[in-house]
Amino acid sequence: MKTVIITEGENIPASADYTLDLAKAEVQDCIGCWSCWWKTPGRCAFKDLDEFYHHYVTADRAIIVSQVTKGFVSGKLKTLFDRMIPLYLPYTEYSTGESMHVPRYGRYPDIEFYYQGTFVPPDGRQIFVDYIQRVFYQFHSKNIVVKPIGERNS
Amino acid sequence: MNTIILNGSPKGNPKQSNSRIFAEHFVKEMRNPCEIKRIAENDSKELARYAAGFDTIIIILPLYIHAMPGLVMKFIEKLEPAPPTPATPSGPKTIGFIIQAGFMETAQHKYVEPYFRRLAEQLNYTYLGTVSKGEAAGIYMYPKMFKKVLKLISELGVAYEKTRAFDKEIVKKLSKPYQLSSFQLRLLKVVDIVGLSNIGWHKVLKQNGAFEQRLDRPFI
Ligand SMILES: Cc1cc2nc3c(=O)[nH]c(=O)nc-3n(C[C@H](O)[C@H](O)[C@H](O)COP(=O)(O)O)c2cc1C
Repeated sequence: MKTVIITEGENIPASADYTLDLAKAEVQDCIGCWSCWWKTPGRCAFKDLDEFYHHYVTADRAIIVSQVTKGFVSGKLKTLFDRMIPLYLPYTEYSTGESMHVPRYGRYPDIEFYYQGTFVPPDGRQIFVDYIQRVFYQFHSKNIVVKPIGERNS
Repeated sequence: MNTIILNGSPKGNPKQSNSRIFAEHFVKEMRNPCEIKRIAENDSKELARYAAGFDTIIIILPLYIHAMPGLVMKFIEKLEPAPPTPATPSGPKTIGFIIQAGFMETAQHKYVEPYFRRLAEQLNYTYLGTVSKGEAAGIYMYPKMFKKVLKLISELGVAYEKTRAFDKEIVKKLSKPYQLSSFQLRLLKVVDIVGLSNIGWHKVLKQNGAFEQRLDRPFI
């Protein structure tokens, strides 16, 4: 099973075919230039994630370890989400009763998303979990698990 | 009134930014227009310190993957909680958001709106609310087609200057449709089948000599 790991400095005991450590990597923020849709389809104007893109779209699963920041994903992880837009087509489909992006690739990895940090009660944690579920649903991953890091079975 | 407007669009060319157009229309008819700053051209830490000097912060931003752009989250990380109330002579500090986005239905914004409410709480700010507008991606290309929307944004600004609140009626108008109706869905599907929905996109792809590559999968 091909595995990609995305972390924010955390070491997790799992073997990976590719690791992107956002604490070390300098990932450019998306600047909304739309090159990835209208000029060079599927390719971002920035080249810093090319290796990641290849491993992500050929992986069976992605393990993400997120540091909760002000009750949300960190700016760095959010930037990574934004930069994943080249992996989808510009077209919109409505078969689920709402607007959804059309996949560019045949399949996307299953997601194991682990988070570390605190939330504002009573619903801060649920807001975070719902958001992550929605992101990877929009990103066409079939199986999505979102859990606190403490509940990860190593 | 002591309010700062922050434009959260990461667009390199601000002329093409819909958030900029929203921000300019929001202040356009105010008697004392608020200051507008672009998050993208400022150091986050310095801007957070500067913005904390205002009674109210209103962030006008594009929806990126159901939430704020990474760049805006990096700015939010730098916002410090206000001291316990009353933080200003006029009461607690306030924060609000105006989101504009590409997809038509504003239900797409429902994942981030509750977060913004909880963020205000974490910051000891009063939550002014979140205004949502869908189907806004083309505004900078065809501003004339969006005259009505931009007029509503100016009215929202005028009402805000008077009441320090987002006018409920205007917010309601802007947020429509919240969900796609079954009629809209049927129509959109037909438009899709006959290929009308992509004419504009395909024109741009052809202009860029990229039409044949539009379905490329460069990373496998
Ligand atoms: C990386 C990226 C992600 C986006 N995600 C969404 C989204 O989740 N939902 C949506 O309706 N529009 C989405 N959009 C469209 C923008 O919200 C829309 O184009 C907006 O008008 C851009 O504002 P600006 O011109 O001020 O940057 C996205 C655009 C980009 C570049």
